[in-house]
Amino acid sequence: MEKKPYMKPTIVRHTPGGVLNKFGRPPQTVPMRRIEGFDVSELAGEYGSPLFVLSVRELKRKYRELDRTFRTRYPDFQLAYSYKTNYLKSVCSILHQEGAWAEVVSGFEYDIAADLGVPGGRIIFNGPYKTRGELKRAFENGSIVNIDNYDEMQVIEDLAEEFGRTLDVGLRINMDLNDPPWHKFGFNYESGQAFEAVRRATSGGKLNVVGLHMHTGTYVDDLTIYSRGAQGMIDFYRLIRDNFGVRLKYWDLGGGFASMNTLHWAYLPAEQTTPTVDQYADAICSVLLAADLGGEEPPKLFIEPGRAIVDDPFYLITSVAAQKRLPNGRRAVVLDTGMNMISSVQWYRYQFQSAQDSGTTVEDTTVYGALCMNIDVINHSLSLPPVRRGELLVIPRVGAYNLSQSWQFIYLRPAVIAIDDGRVHVIKRAETREYVQQFEQVPEDYSLPREPADGAAS
Amino acid sequence: MAVKFTNDVTLSKSGFLFDHASGQTYTLNPTGQFIFRLLEQGEESERVLPQIVAEFNVSESTARKDLDDFLRQLHELGITE
Repeated sequence: MEKKPYMKPTIVRHTPGGVLNKFGRPPQTVPMRRIEGFDVSELAGEYGSPLFVLSVRELKRKYRELDRTFRTRYPDFQLAYSYKTNYLKSVCSILHQEGAWAEVVSGFEYDIAADLGVPGGRIIFNGPYKTRGELKRAFENGSIVNIDNYDEMQVIEDLAEEFGRTLDVGLRINMDLNDPPWHKFGFNYESGQAFEAVRRATSGGKLNVVGLHMHTGTYVDDLTIYSRGAQGMIDFYRLIRDNFGVRLKYWDLGGGFASMNTLHWAYLPAEQTTPTVDQYADAICSVLLAADLGGEEPPKLFIEPGRAIVDDPFYLITSVAAQKRLPNGRRAVVLDTGMNMISSVQWYRYQFQSAQDSGTTVEDTTVYGALCMNIDVINHSLSLPPVRRGELLVIPRVGAYNLSQSWQFIYLRPAVIAIDDGRVHVIKRAETREYVQQFEQVPEDYSLPREPADGAAS
Repeated sequence: MAVKFTNDVTLSKSGFLFDHASGQTYTLNPTGQFIFRLLEQGEESERVLPQIVAEFNVSESTARKDLDDFLRQLHELGITE
């Protein structure tokens, strides 16, 4: 007689929020065996675990949705991809093929864009720290530069003198839109600093203010922040146009759109709180297009999303290293990956799925990362079916910030593969110890003998 | 040695377990139900292991580890003494 399929025996106590969920979120019992048609266990077998997987189709879909939605609402629109959210070269290159410009915040990111072949005129250079050399190169290449502070303005005025011509610049402004407000970037509107900054920039005769830039926050799911920000930008433009004769070529509303990941402190899941792309576009475009600019054509509109494009198309395949019972009877699982690979666990309540059929009985579980550090917890409370060592889990929506913020610690970082129309491309090989230590050297004085010295063993 | 239950408990056909004294409810998966019914019938815990291996497609070493974990869970949940 054929034996029955085996599942680890489990008993789960019913607790509110565990098995029963008033929001109706299905427990994590539906296995994710395949990603874009590829068997998860075969991918892990060939490329190792943990493993980052990019769905190219999903990446393009996210980009096209954003681009089309804004382009159909605003006559002169351009999306600039926020490099810092994920600057894997293949990711950036695919998005540039789709038509994105580059939004960079450091010389390092600028070099990535330039090396990929992005024309200088399609690079927007933001960020609070830009060196003189980086600024010089950006102006020589015709890039858009948005000034963050007076020190930077001084450097750019010096460059204008060196070039012997006036330079077109944008100014970063901030407004009291959030609580607490984001005052770090640029000059404040309400206090009059932004007005003074335009006066200062235009009075020197070396700079030509042609743009305004505003970055309202990150993971912003309050649409009024964008609509109030857009209205503030219109009001400010009228002010500086009337006072200083400024004529804008562009206004830039930055990024900060939320993704479908749920924040730890959120009461409702992101599916119910994250606005749609249409809602973001309406909040911005309807306000900007309603502006009375006295017959003037509305300036070009830039937005700089990152998270909203790259978060969803990435998956992390990880395997169970161990499971244990905590002293209070609670189940805990240890993974083969840690918060150094997915640092967004600090913000996100990641939902996982098993990659194999593990039954429908779920248990509230603490999920630990692999790091030998007590703080490395991937999820404090996850409804998981029984899993055993070696079994695979899939964490979806891991593309934003995790790869660019990952840090090598204790373990080597994994490979990244891209799945595209039935093909698999390795877009980043797994790290090796030689790669990690390539710039280290041990001076001879500190070297250990390779052979034990005479008598050392006695 | 036979396992002793703390309270009067009832396991339904679908794996729903009700503790009559505390009012607490639980869900057991099919393997858990199989083990629970043996224990309920007074089967000694040492004799449960070969019956799991005979019934299910599982190695003895895996089944032993899982059975230990399951019995410990029953105890920690206060279902068995």
